[in-house]
Amino acid sequence: MTEQAVASRLDRPSPPGGRSLRRAQRIASQCFAAALQSSCWLFMLVVGGLAAELIWGARLSIRTFGIGFLWSSQWNPVTQQFGAAPFIYGTLVTSVIALALAAVFGILAAIYLAEFAPRRVGTYLGLLIELLAAVPSIVYGLWGLFVLAPIVANWIGPALQKSLGFLPIFQGTIYGVNVLTASFILTLMIVPTITAITRDLIAAIPTRNREAALALGATRWEVASQVVLPAVHRGILGACLLAFGRALGETIATTMVIGNRPVISASLFAPGYTVASVIANEFTEATSDLYLSALIELGLILMVVSLIVIGLGRLMVRLFIR
Amino acid sequence: MSALSIGRRRKLKNAIWIAVCGLCAAGVAAVLLLIMGYIVREGIGAISIPFLTRLPRPTGIAGGGVANGIVGTAIIVGIGAVMAFPVGVLVGTYLAVYSHKRMAQSLSFVADVLAGVPSIAIGIFAYTLLVEPLRHFSAFSASFAFAVLMVPLVIRATEAAMALVPRELREAATALGAPESRVVLKILVVAARPGIVTGLLLSLARVTGETAPLLFTAFGSQYWELNPAQPMAELSLQIFSYAISPYADWHAQAWAGALILIVAVFLLSVLARLSILLGREGNSIGSAL
Amino acid sequence: MTPLQRPDTIELPLNPVPSRLAEQCPDMDMENTRTALSLARVAVRPPAPPVQTAAHPAPVAAAALPSKVEIRDVSFFYGKFQALRGITLPLCDRRVTAFIGPSGCGKSTLLRILNRIYELYPGQTATGEVLIDGQNILTPALDLDRLRAQVGMVFQKPTPFPMSIYDNVAFGIRLYERLPKAELDDRIESVLRRAALWDEVKDKLRQSGLSLSGGQQQRLCIARAIAIEPEILLLDEPASALDPLSTQRIEELIAELKADYCIALVTHNMQQAARSSDYTAFLYLGELIEFDETERIFTHPKERRTEDYITGRFG
Repeated sequence: MTEQAVASRLDRPSPPGGRSLRRAQRIASQCFAAALQSSCWLFMLVVGGLAAELIWGARLSIRTFGIGFLWSSQWNPVTQQFGAAPFIYGTLVTSVIALALAAVFGILAAIYLAEFAPRRVGTYLGLLIELLAAVPSIVYGLWGLFVLAPIVANWIGPALQKSLGFLPIFQGTIYGVNVLTASFILTLMIVPTITAITRDLIAAIPTRNREAALALGATRWEVASQVVLPAVHRGILGACLLAFGRALGETIATTMVIGNRPVISASLFAPGYTVASVIANEFTEATSDLYLSALIELGLILMVVSLIVIGLGRLMVRLFIR
Repeated sequence: MSALSIGRRRKLKNAIWIAVCGLCAAGVAAVLLLIMGYIVREGIGAISIPFLTRLPRPTGIAGGGVANGIVGTAIIVGIGAVMAFPVGVLVGTYLAVYSHKRMAQSLSFVADVLAGVPSIAIGIFAYTLLVEPLRHFSAFSASFAFAVLMVPLVIRATEAAMALVPRELREAATALGAPESRVVLKILVVAARPGIVTGLLLSLARVTGETAPLLFTAFGSQYWELNPAQPMAELSLQIFSYAISPYADWHAQAWAGALILIVAVFLLSVLARLSILLGREGNSIGSAL
Repeated sequence: MTPLQRPDTIELPLNPVPSRLAEQCPDMDMENTRTALSLARVAVRPPAPPVQTAAHPAPVAAAALPSKVEIRDVSFFYGKFQALRGITLPLCDRRVTAFIGPSGCGKSTLLRILNRIYELYPGQTATGEVLIDGQNILTPALDLDRLRAQVGMVFQKPTPFPMSIYDNVAFGIRLYERLPKAELDDRIESVLRRAALWDEVKDKLRQSGLSLSGGQQQRLCIARAIAIEPEILLLDEPASALDPLSTQRIEELIAELKADYCIALVTHNMQQAARSSDYTAFLYLGELIEFDETERIFTHPKERRTEDYITGRFG
């Protein structure tokens, strides 16, 4: 080092107030890091607690009924015999029908919004459909109970029975509050999910793929169905899984329109019961520990199945929205 | 078949399919308008000052109100927000700043998982944690359930908003010698604020109107109750019990309550959207010069 | 090849008198330097006597400026990928050293080693030595905040903080000093004057930094960087995101700042390098191909690849 070298700033003393400032900053940094860490641990604790409490609460029922709980169709608080079959049936039927209908409408609507709609129309229609997702469940239930159920009972039901009455699913007495109405309400609730995700997936396809097909003389529908859809079909499957998971867990809207009768019936016009609905209706009336434990076990089953379905769905969408 | 007729057939198919898709989109949107229309038509008649300010009347007697439900909803959602927002923003910040660490990746996965748990299951969790041991229902347990519902949404929105902040901003602050806490708090969080606020508003919209967990946590009440340690009335609970009752007056009140609820939720959603727009505008005012 | 004209706006006695590399940085051991340079495949010039012309006074070689920064055999890795190989070169105080080269050659990577900003990202490592005033800054034990107080950085994209113009400049100052308001105001005014921004913003100090135009934002970033009184300035393509007028103002600013700072300038614009810098380092694929005085590199480059790049044959 020559004498001409300037003393290194690294060795220079701090400016006035600098040292205490640096100390204060160091303490602030440590507090901040501690806050981040502790909030992460708190979060993990809550999630772990959720799983733990549900498993703990269900242990009595699991011990008493074992695996047979899943296919036993007895639900009798008096004899303390509980089985999940009617509820699993009701949940599955309503969710599957809802998914089938919502997939058709949702995907076609999304294709329209993403491919064919003029810019302004697409924006407003898309906004309306997204707002549909914001509507609270209770509002859907209310509308379903007072508006949709009578429509099903008086018009849709008889029409279906007249035309397709040979099918066992359309036979029997037509109630207003039944599995079909519940399926319709669920359809409405999950369509926005499918539409929004499908629309995003389609929008992510680069324009040049479309332009290449159009330049060859394909019509816009051909471009959509033969170029765009095949590229996103796996992502759409993920969106459907997500929607299905949402339908599985839906509680209040279904409770208000499904009739709440724990029977397995072939007819869609008969009332039914879903896992979520029985928990909602009977939780506060559970008179015994076993009763409560059976309900908690139902909640556990619902949670596990929802998590698997939604987890899978999210994975698939994430892989394809890249 | 001539080439011309093939072309015409394809064109026809094209037109039909586009029309079908358009009908689906219009149909879905129309349903929303239909539902909104019903709620406004049925509910607007019952909306009145007495309705908004009175307590519910006993079974079958007309003229009650949902005042305690409105207040109760505000309290329950408010306490839930106070619990959820700090945790959610902090965890989201951690995920954005330390995204390379293994804990961050598993946390992100867990947050996504929690977002998929049905609300009724979270209600059971709140029950076993806070209602059963204390042997009575409480608004606080409902707030806890709401907080658990809100946290994943806040985490995801915060993480996404902070990931959008250009990395040069973080580098510029670090290059000045700023300690990490200052870089994150004064620069990154401030830059990501519109997105974070949107996440908060959207999570509020999500839980306002959520009914299922309330059934066995807040439980509902006929009276004024401001103490969160007690059962409390809530608007969506009231709508539920009125709707399944046999009284026409209560049905009308259910519609009115639904109208209030849906207006509140839509307001929050619109505010959330505005937040993003306003934030973006503030940033781009000068760069167009 | 026609000599590239240098604008005659700079008062320092350096131009356009050619002088030896060694006389500018006397504390560099010439023998070791030659070996190091030849290892990096840079041709060694025979030393030329200093030329004095009547029009220009004698160069200030005697009280010559030491090399502020010495980069010695520095290599850089993004994970397993080696982005820089054995770079050795000096940065002189009160001079502008430009790093040029085609995209991906490692010039920005090299710049980012000098304030260890790469450590924000895991998996990026640097080997070798970087001596600032004789102290190796690549040792793990170094106080990074103090290093960054000494080395300022301006980025390609203007990055004003989301706060008022006043707070943007004050941000750095407040990290190190607790100043009374009047003194802080004065500091900020002088820094903004230095950055040629004061007249344009003196009435709107409380407005958001984001409300400025691109060129103004970049000058704000420069003001922010010099507010903490660093000794070295790292400029990573500071004008590449700006329009030509703003670019010119930034280049004028660099010429003014040169008097007080050791400046390292990364640029993909060769004319800018020729205009603004005193020394130029040409990098290609992570290696230092040639390092010399700017005038010499652009008029008589020693390496074939340098000549190819400068004449636009590639990159």
